[in-house]
Amino acid sequence: MPITIPKTALGAALTAAALALTSCSGTAGSADPTDIDPEGKIEAREISWLLSRPADGGVITAMEQIAEEYAKDHPGFSLNLITTPDRPSYIQKYETLAAANKLPELFDTDATPFAQKLADQGRMLDVDLLLKDLGLADDYREAALNYQRFDDGELYMVPFEFQLEFFWYNSALLERANVEIPKTLGDFPQLCKDLRAAGVTPIALDGQDQWPLERYLAYYPFRMAGPEYVQDLKNGEAKFADPAGRAAAEWLYELGRAGCFQEDFSSTGYADAQGLFTSGKAAIYNIGTWELANLATDALDPAVRESVDYFTLPTVDGAVTDDNAYVTPSGIGMAVNAQTYDPLVRDFLAYALERYPEVYAATGALSPTTNVETSIPDNATELYAKAVKQADEVGADSAMPWDTQLDPATNTRLQQELTLLVQGDIEPDEFIETMDAALAENSDG
Amino acid sequence: MAELAQTGLGAGRVGQRRRRSPAPSMLPRRSGLSVAIFLVPPLLLYGVAVLLPIVQSLFLSLFSWDGITDMTFVGLDNYAKMFARDDVFWTAFGNALGYLAICLVLQLGGALAVAALLTALPRARELVKTLYLLPAIISTVAIAFLFQRIYSLDPVGPLNQLLAWVGLDGAQTAWLSNVDTVLAAVSVPEGWRFTGLYMLIVYAALIAVPRELEEAARLDGASWWQTFWRIRFPYIRPVWITTTVMATTFALRGFDIPYLLTNGGPGQSSELLTTYMYKTAFVHTDYGYASAISVFIVVECLVAVGLIYLLLRRRDDS
Repeated sequence: MPITIPKTALGAALTAAALALTSCSGTAGSADPTDIDPEGKIEAREISWLLSRPADGGVITAMEQIAEEYAKDHPGFSLNLITTPDRPSYIQKYETLAAANKLPELFDTDATPFAQKLADQGRMLDVDLLLKDLGLADDYREAALNYQRFDDGELYMVPFEFQLEFFWYNSALLERANVEIPKTLGDFPQLCKDLRAAGVTPIALDGQDQWPLERYLAYYPFRMAGPEYVQDLKNGEAKFADPAGRAAAEWLYELGRAGCFQEDFSSTGYADAQGLFTSGKAAIYNIGTWELANLATDALDPAVRESVDYFTLPTVDGAVTDDNAYVTPSGIGMAVNAQTYDPLVRDFLAYALERYPEVYAATGALSPTTNVETSIPDNATELYAKAVKQADEVGADSAMPWDTQLDPATNTRLQQELTLLVQGDIEPDEFIETMDAALAENSDG
Repeated sequence: MAELAQTGLGAGRVGQRRRRSPAPSMLPRRSGLSVAIFLVPPLLLYGVAVLLPIVQSLFLSLFSWDGITDMTFVGLDNYAKMFARDDVFWTAFGNALGYLAICLVLQLGGALAVAALLTALPRARELVKTLYLLPAIISTVAIAFLFQRIYSLDPVGPLNQLLAWVGLDGAQTAWLSNVDTVLAAVSVPEGWRFTGLYMLIVYAALIAVPRELEEAARLDGASWWQTFWRIRFPYIRPVWITTTVMATTFALRGFDIPYLLTNGGPGQSSELLTTYMYKTAFVHTDYGYASAISVFIVVECLVAVGLIYLLLRRRDDS
């Protein structure tokens, strides 16, 4: 049933409610985000964590176990995990709750401009200070912490994962087309043409979720101009018309013209895109190590299992970043609500963050810390250990996903225009012009 | 023939008057107070649930507000942006009109055609009615998934498969990725869904048309089309106006299927004002501008309803 009037009404009602709540709660913002060790008695109660992670994933499983352990010594304690794995839905929920000043003790967020505003208002605890005070700061991988930092270097989120994003490929399909893995990004268009000629879909892409295609846009600028380019872009100090932005637009347009992605990529979802690769229809698939359990174990179709391998982000001529620097996110981070922070939250975090790496690494996942070893599952292929080892060889620079960097309005427009660019519905010049205009309009507000 | 139509129409009016006449006796005049007592609570509820949010949207639309920092008064700047600086808004408006047109053709045209055929069906009417109504009771999300499969190109979905079977391989396309087909592709499920519902309404009106009028017309040599157009249709016009208003406002407020199927993409090819407003509010956290768009949607619906009354009423009077 069409629902917009209710939506309009709901939207207005929500904002009105939020307005009323924020105006009432002016006094609640007085908490000190640097007071990481508040005085008082630890009184066990339920604390909540609003998060955006798979319900049966490693983070939630590990944290449930840790919370149970903690509750044994602290009767009355419980950790209420409220997860919304679908990221756009999660962000809406979290931003609406933030507007209503109803965020729980712990909540997930990326280092977005919105989160920066919350931090500026003193609503998030200074995690740099917290980790130092707990004596855990040195355990973390530098890249994992850097990923969570705002542009000014401040840290307000705790990482719970460490992921490497690879280009997984099917060597049998590459052989069939008689092609090698690309050495530079510029090799992709020809590679795609050769694969197409051999009747293979070159790259499986989840276009419906938008962020996978946005990754491709980030690659050229990251290699050509380094990780600062996207920061400059959002601060108005760089333009899409700059050489790095132009190269990215032209490269993506070329990828589209070379038929790199399946024809209906813009309406293909995550599972379907992965299915194209795992069923041996597509030759290349760009995804992170969170899929190790599906791509590097016997869960993978035996028909392709032996052929699957990966390569990391290729370079470009005159690259300013090292080959071992690519997209290495530490996932969405966990922020601590400064307004509800009390001795119990601190005590639980002290226990949980200390215990977490060991429990998490035992599930076969990469810990954001360096003090534990990831256990390789029994059903893993050789690739699993290779990928885990690779984590210790990554550089400190990380290519930031642009969707967490740009303001949401520009980001939405970018994602829309990107699809059109790759589909060949617009030319690179038009893309650049539209995006620079959007950037100017949205940075004014 | 003109006389006949006059008779038909006249009889229709008499019929309506006759139906209306018992009303006063059921609610005697002295119970005006009790009528008010019964009417006020829903009216208050309506005021709080519908009118108040509209007024609040109007108020919010004069501000720039992201939900967490202080609101800034910007006057009419949101409207200036909407009308002058935002090309997406106009694309979305154009798309909304296209969506409306497709939905109306499918819902009203389809409903009238099916209902007219149904009256001619000697048996199994209930079964056919139920079958047509079925999509209206399936959850929207299920319908979106269903159509995602129907439109799919890789793996080949039913629609593209059908085209291949009839030898139209060349017409195969990624219906939801092609900027030329996506708007129609997201409109059709919505139109298809509610055809059955409007068909029921129109059917109920059609079977109320007195048989003797049609028989008289047929005896006078009226063709099927003349009977339909000069007797049946004028008779059901009041119901038709209501149905048109319902279908139009629902289509103008359509949101869920386009949102679920394509989220407005690719590009802005299937972006409607409603999906755009939703994104502006809950993705961009630009509540002020979103409120301005929602005010526009309300005005647009009011204008549409006004136009429908004006056009259909005028024809009625003539």
